[in-house]
Amino acid sequence: MPGRRAGIAFALAILALAALVAVEATRIPHSAYAVVGPRFFPFAVAGLLGLLGLLLLLQALAGGLLPADFAGEPFDRRAVAWVGLGLFLNVALIQSLGFVLASSLLFLCVARGFGSTRPIRHAALGFLLATLVFLGFSRLLGVRFGGGLVEGLLGAGA
Amino acid sequence: METLAALGQGFLVALQPTNPMWGFVGVTLGTFVGVLPGLGPALTIALLLPITYTVDATAAFILFVGIYYGAMYGGSTTSILLNTPGESATIVTALEGHRMALAGRAGPALATAAIGSFVAGTIGTLGLTFLAPTVVELALAFGPADYFSSMVLAFVTVSATLGSRPLRGLAALAFGIWLGLVGVDLQTGQARFTFGLLELLDGINVIVVCVGLFAVGETLWLAHRASLRRASIVPVRGSLWLSGEDWRRSWPAWLRGALIGFPIGALPAGGAEVPTFLSYWLERRLARRPQEFGRGAIEGVAGPEAANNASAAGVLVPMLTLGLPTSATAAIVLSAFQGYGINPGPLLMESQPQLVWGLIAGLYIANLLLLALNLPLVGLWVRVRAIPQPLLYAGILVFATVGTYGISQSPIDLVLLYAIGLLGFLMRLFDVPTAPVIIGTIPGPLAEQELRRALTIAKGDPTVLLTRPLSATLLALALTALLVPLLWRRLVRAGLRRG
Amino acid sequence: MPGWTRRATAAGALATLGLVATGLRSRTAQAAIDQLQLFVPAAPGGGWDQTARTMEAVLRVTGMVKGVQITNVPGAGGTVGLPQFVNQWKGRPNALMVGGMVMVGAVIANKAPVGLQATTPIARLTGEFEVIVVPAASPHQNLESLIAAFEANPGSVSWAGGSAGGTDHILVGMIAKAVGVDPEAAAYVAFAGGGAAQAAILGNQVTAGVSGWGEFAEQVKAGKMRALAISADKRQPGIDVPTLKEQGIDVELFNWRGVFAPPGLKPEQVKALVSLVETMAARDAWKAELAKRYWTGILLTGEPFAKFVAEEIVRIEGILASLGLA
Repeated sequence: MPGRRAGIAFALAILALAALVAVEATRIPHSAYAVVGPRFFPFAVAGLLGLLGLLLLLQALAGGLLPADFAGEPFDRRAVAWVGLGLFLNVALIQSLGFVLASSLLFLCVARGFGSTRPIRHAALGFLLATLVFLGFSRLLGVRFGGGLVEGLLGAGA
Repeated sequence: METLAALGQGFLVALQPTNPMWGFVGVTLGTFVGVLPGLGPALTIALLLPITYTVDATAAFILFVGIYYGAMYGGSTTSILLNTPGESATIVTALEGHRMALAGRAGPALATAAIGSFVAGTIGTLGLTFLAPTVVELALAFGPADYFSSMVLAFVTVSATLGSRPLRGLAALAFGIWLGLVGVDLQTGQARFTFGLLELLDGINVIVVCVGLFAVGETLWLAHRASLRRASIVPVRGSLWLSGEDWRRSWPAWLRGALIGFPIGALPAGGAEVPTFLSYWLERRLARRPQEFGRGAIEGVAGPEAANNASAAGVLVPMLTLGLPTSATAAIVLSAFQGYGINPGPLLMESQPQLVWGLIAGLYIANLLLLALNLPLVGLWVRVRAIPQPLLYAGILVFATVGTYGISQSPIDLVLLYAIGLLGFLMRLFDVPTAPVIIGTIPGPLAEQELRRALTIAKGDPTVLLTRPLSATLLALALTALLVPLLWRRLVRAGLRRG
Repeated sequence: MPGWTRRATAAGALATLGLVATGLRSRTAQAAIDQLQLFVPAAPGGGWDQTARTMEAVLRVTGMVKGVQITNVPGAGGTVGLPQFVNQWKGRPNALMVGGMVMVGAVIANKAPVGLQATTPIARLTGEFEVIVVPAASPHQNLESLIAAFEANPGSVSWAGGSAGGTDHILVGMIAKAVGVDPEAAAYVAFAGGGAAQAAILGNQVTAGVSGWGEFAEQVKAGKMRALAISADKRQPGIDVPTLKEQGIDVELFNWRGVFAPPGLKPEQVKALVSLVETMAARDAWKAELAKRYWTGILLTGEPFAKFVAEEIVRIEGILASLGLA
């Protein structure tokens, strides 16, 4: 990522955050009795973020701030996409498929992203790990992870 | 003398046949939950409370304090090995500890953490044994104004963790403070920054922020460049054990950490995180080679780990002397007392000497057991890094999910965890330090609440911060901590020019 | 590396098989028996969770049901769990949710979409009255003196208690109203968790403190705090503290806890749950647990309890509005 543009983008992101915090802070209801109300600190934080955003912007425009470069080595989109897919599938499916199956999928995707070449073996390992964790928790500590296909078979669906 | 006799009695209780076994179960379980991201001792003990119906009181409390101390030991392991602190009190440990691991010195980092935990845990327990009544008197003198000023001091010392890019570090800190403000305002009951989500009314769990930024963020970061993945596979070089120089550098840090951690832990609103920041800052200031900090200085692991464990002993001071639940874990342990028909209060030590002293003796034993358990584990833990990378990071993400989803079963928490993880990845891409986010999330909102409490009590008069001697002293200390390094640099520079 | 994987797989498979086997066994054993499911809309360890776990213990020890399963869904005074209980547990004849006055307040203050009206109230089980204390070193020897100072200058009397809008704050609001002070003018100092509030009172940092009697009882007995009044309807046996009413302040407040069934049950299913809870509350084991935890048994079941809940919602809404919270 080119340093100057990245620096400007970061400064702008901080300024946007400052604006968001300030706007949201005005929507906090007033309370009469508190000496320092619930809005004081939010506004202070918004102000601090705004100030830092401006300073960062100046610094970036002056050409400072070069994020670590990897000597032209490519950004490994495939690996990041696999990990992201795993996270997405886990959130999307954990309630319908249950913890065990959703976590097995997560395990498989992340392993794939990190260069695993044995999908079947690793899927099985992920399933074993998730099942063990699930059983360990529900048996030893009584923590329930909600229902699901495998959970129902194991007799611990909530 | 009286104390020693009582303690002797306590050891007789704690060493009764089955009790050391309970202690062992406790420390093992505690180490385990400490290692897992997102699981803490409070939750574990809460879930084990039903045991109070079947086991006698001494055994149960020995089990519980074993879990408590064990979790303090275990927390540092993932910080050092994988740069994924599972709880807020071990973030500072990751700063230097993980650098050491990347340099092939995971063994000495884990060893100094374990021995430092033992030394500090024992010093803290000694403090609990002999100084508890005095310490608690001092602790009660702290009012909201004094707490606010101590948070100001903590913020100044946080500057040590901002890294080489202070502006971006400060932005991360401010972002963390903002995250900490999300939820219902304790003082007025008004919802802040919840965007209409009921799930956000209780605020964003610090553990979710911590696990998201570190475990999830680190995984994405490693995924994005093949060279990073290769670089993170480091064979352990040299000895697993501490060298002579490691010992020389570690032991003063352990002692200083313990002396910082114990009194702050004993403060009813002191917390476990602030002492670790203070210790890190102090070690960095006192280090003979400060340039090593950020590249794996062993003092930066030894001090904060000791402070963390000593503060755990400190938390027990108000709990056992006054019956005050000043941390989530203490609250759960106190409710276990009630399960036995014992109502913990200021008379606890007099009415239940057997139990209290048995528990204190149990702490000494737990510390010994933990040392015996953790030193051999060093050899095992360093091999965690030999697990094939795809499996290691896949496993880390599964465990991160367990710690978050398993407890609340809320997909919103999971979305939050992953979103914060993505943010942690972006921050790494932009070379923004992530530790300040957590540091803002904890003392930031505390400082706000204490300031508002102080002002409500003082009818809105802000001079209360200067008229209370404790508060004024702390503010003066903060100012000194801020100015002295600046002045020092000026003087040095002036001297150089002249000389 | 492959060796490592193979070994781990084998060990994991063995362990999983073992656990699966025990899981299957316990499931077939449980299929035939009476299972009660308790829904706790709070984290493990708090008051509602303790109520559920105490119920579990009593029901198990006395053999009234064969098994009890507790599910915790924490968040926002119960308002995160409540919709889940109402929607996803609808029609389950063997389910009970633990809740209470705090939830009534949280639903109002958080403007939650689902209220307790959506459930089937089964029984009020316990109540905890509040106590007003001052530090041992306080100049206020009695309630009269504290209230006089409060009336003269409301801002100069600071009250320590739990979070804004909670039971402690509600009591301060009620007292202010009763003595003719604007509730919003009271200098209420909210603390997270009982320990910090107690420390502030013991350390003489605030004028007065408000909390459940159970939290302060030991400090009062040890002479570290002075109890000026309790919020009960009448003198309590074994507690030498006058009520607010006795001292001319017409305020009464119980932090009650009870159990609720999901919506959509048949009348006979409701009846069965009511009688289960009534039988449990009559057991000595239950009474012994109440005494240990400073809970007062104030059993009220079925229709009268449903009416009580409806009245509480109106009453608390009024108080929270006067505190600027509704």
